[in-house]
Amino acid sequence: MLDYLARSLTDHPDAVAVEAVPTRGGTRLSLQVDPGDMGRVIGRRGRVAQAIRTLVRAAGASEGRDVSVDIVD
Amino acid sequence: MEWVETTGRTIQEAKEAALDQLGVDEHDAEFQILEEPRLGLFGRVRAEGRVRARVRPSTPRAKQDRRDRRRKGQGASGGTADQAEGDHDDAHPTASRTSAPSVGGHRASSSDDATPARRGPAADERPRAHLDDRHDDGAHPGREGDMLMDVALQEQAEVARQFLVGLLSRFGLAARLDIDILEEDERLEVRIEGDNLGVLIGQKGSTLAALQEVTRTHVMHRTAARNGRIHVDVSGYRHRRTEALAAFAQGLAKDVQRPGRAVALEPMNAADRKVVHDAVAKIEGVATRSEGDDERRHVVLVPLAADSPSAGPDAPAPTHSTDDLGTRATDEGDPDSGAGLDAV
Repeated sequence: MLDYLARSLTDHPDAVAVEAVPTRGGTRLSLQVDPGDMGRVIGRRGRVAQAIRTLVRAAGASEGRDVSVDIVD
Repeated sequence: MEWVETTGRTIQEAKEAALDQLGVDEHDAEFQILEEPRLGLFGRVRAEGRVRARVRPSTPRAKQDRRDRRRKGQGASGGTADQAEGDHDDAHPTASRTSAPSVGGHRASSSDDATPARRGPAADERPRAHLDDRHDDGAHPGREGDMLMDVALQEQAEVARQFLVGLLSRFGLAARLDIDILEEDERLEVRIEGDNLGVLIGQKGSTLAALQEVTRTHVMHRTAARNGRIHVDVSGYRHRRTEALAAFAQGLAKDVQRPGRAVALEPMNAADRKVVHDAVAKIEGVATRSEGDDERRHVVLVPLAADSPSAGPDAPAPTHSTDDLGTRATDEGDPDSGAGLDAV
């Protein structure tokens, strides 16, 4: 899901990398994108980043998993 | 598109006021700052800031197209007016929907026929999109501008459809996707229908709002669209909530009418504030105004008799929660977004 969203929102979909780290009671996803795409996945006042988090969390919750998203550079 | 002019103690405040009047998100508006606010001693405002704003025109146009459009705007007579009315009639399925007293029933059942609830991956063609092609049949000579606009909107609709089809399949959801092109408003209206779509709505519509945000961002990115005015609704949630919010605001307005005490609502986004402003405008003896900045911006209902300018924006008033409507509230930190339709 995160991979799909990130690829859909960036200029450099090939530079999208998602890493999953298991945490207590869930999964933490780290999203890495091309530096030029940072602005796109974050958006004004973090609106896009927040929307991405909400959707990924919702998708995770529908499978009974607790998922969080970090955007790293 | 018409400009509105507003003032405020800060530019941001003036912008917020303009967004209220336009009823659109900041994304969809463009601003001109006419006058910076001037501060006097101790930060007191000597002159308010003034801005001009309008709904951002949707697509960057070819020169030819732009010329057509301007011409159309100036000479609003004869054939153009007829045409506009014609467009209005068939390009606005929402008009009838808005006035429909009950929602959910017939549309839910029709989508049941279309897609039995199945789950599973590899469902790329399952959510079926219906793009309205009605504009293709009647090619109007001499209306290249509108033709081009249609193409742009249709392209946006197609991009949005593909994106959402992929997204729905990753949610493992069977759903039906309808996209209406509202040419007059330069807007796309996406409706997602099906069973068990609560996960797409989330608490107080938070997931739905996110869905709309990423869809808009994706479409703006992949097409030439400058504003991407896209509304996404799931199972009629937004529609029902808008009606509930309007009814709630009118009920509240009637309370304000008599005892004459101002009442503040909880913070809302620009689109919701416009719903409240419009709904209360139909109630006599009550005025509305918006107060607060950014995330805290909210509508206050004021009895007209007490609405003297000196009342000031800081007049204390209880915050009326609209939680029971599923209205967006301030507690966005809640991670559990599965509740969805049950709350409506």
